[in-house]
Amino acid sequence: MAPLQKRALYGLVFGVIWVIAIIVVFILKGGVSTFNEDHGFRLIIDGLWVGGLIVYLLLLETIGRKPSQVDERDRLIMDRSPRIQWLAVIFSLVVWMIALTESYHDAGQIPIIFLYLIFMSTLIVSAVAQSAGILIGYWRMERND
Amino acid sequence: MTKINNRIRRLRFDYDEMTQEELANRVGCTRQTIIALEQGKYVPSLELAFKIARTFGVVVEDVFQYEGNK
Repeated sequence: MAPLQKRALYGLVFGVIWVIAIIVVFILKGGVSTFNEDHGFRLIIDGLWVGGLIVYLLLLETIGRKPSQVDERDRLIMDRSPRIQWLAVIFSLVVWMIALTESYHDAGQIPIIFLYLIFMSTLIVSAVAQSAGILIGYWRMERND
Repeated sequence: MTKINNRIRRLRFDYDEMTQEELANRVGCTRQTIIALEQGKYVPSLELAFKIARTFGVVVEDVFQYEGNK
């Protein structure tokens, strides 16, 4: 397994654990209404997603600066991974759009806190999808597509 | 798909049974890329192709052969 592939695998596993941790904390602490009212709760979630994002960036970005571990084939795969990121981000925004429209259509307005949640989830989806994109790139190259 | 064959594996053995790791270090890529090249799963850049050829002291055409439409 190439060093970048290994990092992407760790990144994906970390990303999935990170997402589950945020969702579990979010649900256990009371969900959207508590998040809207409790400043301390917002700080916990902020810490989780910003901290996770920093760890994630360290995991994937540092390897890109090591020429001995990343060669032209790895860079080619890395350059293609944004396609998967783009698809995942669009898909998550579509899910948000449909879910919020269906939930708040009758009320005629959406709580402002959802802006924060949409932005946070989009960043997380983008980060995790980068790892997935890299792994898919290696898999496709193995299949010689 | 472009079909480019290569003789890297053969040349490695002719060249003092050079390991994939050694070749990778000499041309500046990872061992996994050498494996992918030997299995025909990756077509290298011109630069890498020239580096590999020079390592074995041959011309590029002696390492890579284009099997596309003639």
